[in-house]
Amino acid sequence: MTATTTGEKLRHRLNHFVTLKDWLWLSIWISGILFIWIWNLIFLNSPALHQIENGFLNTIIIAAMVILIAAGLGWGITLIDDILYRRFPRMRIALGFLINLIRSVPQIVGTLLGYVLLTLLIQNKILTSAPLILFSMALIIAVFLFLEIFDLLRERIAHFRKLDFYDAMLVCGISEHFIINREIILRSSPMHMINKLIGIFGGAIFLLCSVDFIISVGLSTEISPVDLPVTLGSLLAKIDSKQDILAIGHSMTHWNYMIKLPFEHLQGITVASLIVFTLLCIYQIANGYGRRHRL
Amino acid sequence: MTGQRMLVDIRHFTLTPGKITLLLGESGIGKTLISRTIFGLMPEKELNITINEQDYSDYLAGAQCREIQSQGFFVFQEPSSHLNPMMTLSDQLNEGTIHDPSSNNDILKALFPALTDHERHQLLNVYPKPYRPSGGEKQRFLIAMAFKKMALLKNPDTIFVFDEPTGNLDNVYRNIFLKMLIEVHKTIPLTVLLITHDYSMITELTTRHSEIPDHIEFHEMCVSDNRQKQVKFSTESYISWLRDLQPAVSQRKSSIDPILRLEPEIEVFGRTLLITNDSTHRSRSSLDIFEGDAVYLKAGSGVGKTTIAKIIMGLQHATRFNLNLKGLDLNEKTPINVWKNRIWARTMSMVFQHADEALNLSGKVKDIFRGLPIPERSDRGFIKSTLETVFEKNLPPSFLDMPVAYLSGGQKQRLNLIRALILEPDILILDEPFNGLDFNTMQRILDLLQAHQKKGKSFLIISHNEEIIDRFVTPDRIYYLYRDRSDQERSESP
Repeated sequence: MTATTTGEKLRHRLNHFVTLKDWLWLSIWISGILFIWIWNLIFLNSPALHQIENGFLNTIIIAAMVILIAAGLGWGITLIDDILYRRFPRMRIALGFLINLIRSVPQIVGTLLGYVLLTLLIQNKILTSAPLILFSMALIIAVFLFLEIFDLLRERIAHFRKLDFYDAMLVCGISEHFIINREIILRSSPMHMINKLIGIFGGAIFLLCSVDFIISVGLSTEISPVDLPVTLGSLLAKIDSKQDILAIGHSMTHWNYMIKLPFEHLQGITVASLIVFTLLCIYQIANGYGRRHRL
Repeated sequence: MTGQRMLVDIRHFTLTPGKITLLLGESGIGKTLISRTIFGLMPEKELNITINEQDYSDYLAGAQCREIQSQGFFVFQEPSSHLNPMMTLSDQLNEGTIHDPSSNNDILKALFPALTDHERHQLLNVYPKPYRPSGGEKQRFLIAMAFKKMALLKNPDTIFVFDEPTGNLDNVYRNIFLKMLIEVHKTIPLTVLLITHDYSMITELTTRHSEIPDHIEFHEMCVSDNRQKQVKFSTESYISWLRDLQPAVSQRKSSIDPILRLEPEIEVFGRTLLITNDSTHRSRSSLDIFEGDAVYLKAGSGVGKTTIAKIIMGLQHATRFNLNLKGLDLNEKTPINVWKNRIWARTMSMVFQHADEALNLSGKVKDIFRGLPIPERSDRGFIKSTLETVFEKNLPPSFLDMPVAYLSGGQKQRLNLIRALILEPDILILDEPFNGLDFNTMQRILDLLQAHQKKGKSFLIISHNEEIIDRFVTPDRIYYLYRDRSDQERSESP
C-alpha cells in the first residue's frame, strides 16, 4: 500500500516536473553536458579534452559575466535615464542619442571592433591576466546586449507610472528612488529580469562563439586570437575541429562512416554539439520560464 | 484550491428555494467564486473543487448542475465580457432558450425608460464594443436577458445569479431593477442569488417594499478562522446604525480661514469644471476645507471627481486652477517639486480608489509600510498594532508576512487606507474609501476617521455611498462638481 502511494507520489511529481518546461530543459542541458563529458572522458585524448573543458568553462564564465555586467549596466543606465527624465529632460535627449548609437551598431560588428581594442591592449601589455581578459571580453559583449535590460526596465517603469500604484506611493511621501528600485524593479520585475537575462546568456554564448570563430578562421588580419582565452568558438575554428565537421558531411554520403564519428571525430563534433545543444536548451529554458510566469 | 493555495473554504452555503438571497460582504471574499462554482462555471482542471463532498467533474456531469445551467441565468459583474461583440444586441436577446421576440418590449421599456421606441430599436442593432453601449446600458441589457429568461421559464426549480448587477448603474436604475425583481418574484417564486456590496440597497428594499421579508433573505459572507462563513445579516442593525451616524465635531477650535481653498473654476482636458455647494448649481463657490473638517464632493459618474482630487494633489496637469493650501498658492504653473517637497505626506495625502492598483501586489503586508516617512516603518510591533486599528485585534504575526496578492479586496482596501492614515496629514483625500468593504469594516473606518477629525485632521471624500457620507458630513460641507454647460454647448456645436 505504502509502495503504491510512494509510487503514485513519484509519478505525480514526475508529471508535475514535466510540465515545468524550464526546469525540465535545465536538467536536460545539465544531463546532456554530463553525458558528453563522460563520453569524451572515455574516448577523447586528454589534451583535446582539456582544451574542450577550458573552452566550455571560459564560454560559460564569460556568458555569466555578461549577465552580471548587462544587468548592472541596464539598471544603472535606467536610473540615469529616469533622473534625466524627471530633472533634466534636455540632457535625456543626449543619453537617448548615445543609446541609439549603440543600438544602431550590429552586435557582431560592435563586438569585433571591441576585440580590436582588446587585442591592442593585450599587445601593449596593458591587459595581461587571464581573468581580466575574460572580464574585458564579457564587457565588450555586454555593451551590446545590456540594451535589452534597459528597454525592459524602462517599459516596466513606464507601465507602473501609468497606474495609481506610482502616484499612491508618491503622495504617501515614498521617494521615487525607492519606488523605482525596490517596488518596481526588485519586487515587481524580477521574473521579467530573469527571463531577459536567460535570453542574454544565450545571446552572449552565440555572439562569443560567432566572433571567436570569425577571428579564429582569419577573416580579420588585424586581430590575433593567439593571446585570447580559448572558447568554444575558437575551438570550432581549429583545423582538427574543421576536419571533424567535414567528416559529418562525408558521412551523409557514406552512411557506414557515421558510426566512426563519435569515436574518431570527437573534438569537432563535441564542440559543435555543445554550442548547438546549449543554445537550444537556453532557448527552451527562457521560453518555459516565460510561459510558467505568464510574462 | 489552486496549486498550494486555498481560495475558498466554506462548509455550508445555503440558498433558500423560492427566495431571493441578497449576499453582502467585502469584495474578494469568495462570493463570485461560490456562485460560479454552483453554476458550474469554474475550470475543473485548473482548480481542485469539492462540492457537497463530490468531485467537481461529477457535479458538472450531474442532472442538478445541467438543470441550473439550462434553466437559470447568470448576470456577470463585468457586462462587457458577457456580451458577444460579433452579434447585435437584438440577436443576443433572442438567442437560444430566450428566443421569443414578443416578450422583449415590456422588459426593455421598463429598463430603458429614458429612450424612445426608435432609440431602443437603434440600441438593439448595435454590436457591443468597449465604449458602446455604455457600461450601464450593457448591464441593463444583461438584466433584461435574465428577466426574459424568467418570463419564459419552464421549470422554476433553478437558480438565477445576479453578480453585482448594479455596479454600473446609478440609484435610479438600481431601484428600477430591484422593483422589477420583486414584482417578478411575486408571480414566480424563483431561487435568486443577488450578490452585492452596495449596502444602501438595504434601505431601498426595506423602506420601499414592505413585503420584503416574504421574498428576500439578507446574508453576509465573512471570514472566521481562515474559513468563509455565510451568516444572516441584520438589516435593522444597519438601518439603526445609519440613523445614529452623526458628523464628528473637531475638538480643535476651527480657524476662520480654510486650510485649503480651491477656486470654483478648473480647466482641464479642454473643459471647464465648476464647484458649488448649492445643490441646484445656481451659484459657484470655492471648495473650502477647514481644520478638523470633513467635506464631501459629489458629482455624476465621469464628471471628473478623481481628476479634481489629482489636480489638488499635483498629480494631474490642469490648464487653469487656483488653490491655496495653508497660505501656499498653487496653480497650473507651480512645479511638481513644490508638492513633492512641501505637501505630499506632510500637508496632504490621498487614498486611491482601486486598492488593487494602489498597492504593490508583489509585496508582503509589512512592505506596505516600507519607505514611508515615519521612523517606525520597520518595527513589526508598530506595524502590527497599526494594522489592528483596521483589522481584528490580536492579529497573528504571520499576517505581516502574507503576500498582498492573497488578501481579499476588502483587506487590500484596509491596507490602502491605513497607509495614508498613519501619516496623519492635515488633509487626506479619500477617493471611494469604502470600495469593497463590509459593514463592520465600514463602521470601523468611519470611527477611525472621526477620531482623526477630532484631532484636527481634515478629509475630502469622494464616494458613491451617498447614503452614508451624507450622514457623515454636515449638509453645509457637501460640494457639487459639474461641467460648465456653456462649455458643453460650445463643444457640441458644429
